[in-house]
Amino acid sequence: MIDFLLNFSQATGIYAFMNSAWGWPIAESLHFFGLCLLIGTVGLFDLRMMGFADDISLSQLHRLIPIGVAGYLVNVITGTMFLSTAPDQYLFNPAVQSKLFFMLIAGINMMFFYGTTAAAVKSGAKASPIILRAKIMGGISLFCWCAVIICGRLITYYRPPYHWCLWC
Amino acid sequence: MTEAPCCTEYSTSESYCSLSNFAARLDKLETLARLEETALSVLMRESGIAFFGSLILHSLAMAFVVGINFAIAFRLIGFAPRIKIAALSRFYLIHWYAAALIFISGTALLLAYPAKALTNPVFYIKLCAVVIGLLISKRIQNTFAYKPDVLVDSSSIKLAYLSIALWAITLTAGRFLAYTYSILLASRFY
Repeated sequence: MIDFLLNFSQATGIYAFMNSAWGWPIAESLHFFGLCLLIGTVGLFDLRMMGFADDISLSQLHRLIPIGVAGYLVNVITGTMFLSTAPDQYLFNPAVQSKLFFMLIAGINMMFFYGTTAAAVKSGAKASPIILRAKIMGGISLFCWCAVIICGRLITYYRPPYHWCLWC
Repeated sequence: MTEAPCCTEYSTSESYCSLSNFAARLDKLETLARLEETALSVLMRESGIAFFGSLILHSLAMAFVVGINFAIAFRLIGFAPRIKIAALSRFYLIHWYAAALIFISGTALLLAYPAKALTNPVFYIKLCAVVIGLLISKRIQNTFAYKPDVLVDSSSIKLAYLSIALWAITLTAGRFLAYTYSILLASRFY
């Protein structure tokens, strides 16, 4: 896995860019920029579902979500750049593993939301089971994205990662 | 005037300056060194919970402040035009709590490594961008909050673009702080 990621990084030029003078901090800046776009759109949508600022139409607020998706794509690209350039520093790091776990939970929660609740919520349904479900899903989503930020910050705490990862 | 190496004592850079500047700089470094020796500064550096706790709070608060500013700026620029900006302004409540948290956690982080930050021009770029960004937030809030009939004019759109640019500068400067410092007094004791 490590060799595969390193080969990918070197073949695509990512490795050279990330090891240039400003490659790493540029990628980090873009990574946090994407995260802010995500919190500013998906996070606000989650807060609205939880009952905050309830005079905003959810269907209207949902129109900002594509900006959050763009931010997420920036994060996926820059995250791949980190991971492929220094795979040994990330693959075994419990903070990275936890971060990926919370991203997975957020993704599953999002699929459940769009599969079961989104249409009713966007049409302005007032039924209490739907509202309760939306509140729970909004809470899970916001919690997961905050956890992703926290785990992201903790990556440097768990270095070198080999000493911390008990199951690697 | 005699030229003397001024930064080699504390810095990794190879710059040179005049003897008087060297003395003034050493005096400043002495002050920063004394600040680093205070109990609070040592606690911030040596306690994992204090340092990483502040770092986490700083990042979370920054994500909310920047995120909310981005959302409102994008709305002002023309995204999702049917959202009432007056209603969207209600998120400013969270924004100001998060902004307060940015300054508290930022001060705590500054206390951990004062010389590292205060001798780095990038720190002042970040500080200026944050302060101007927050002033713009206040201006936008004053213009639109609780005023559903106010229309978006060209000056508001310009402010929105400026807001996005300033928060982008803040994020970039924040990340570059870790890579651009030339003085790290505390590290000399480890």
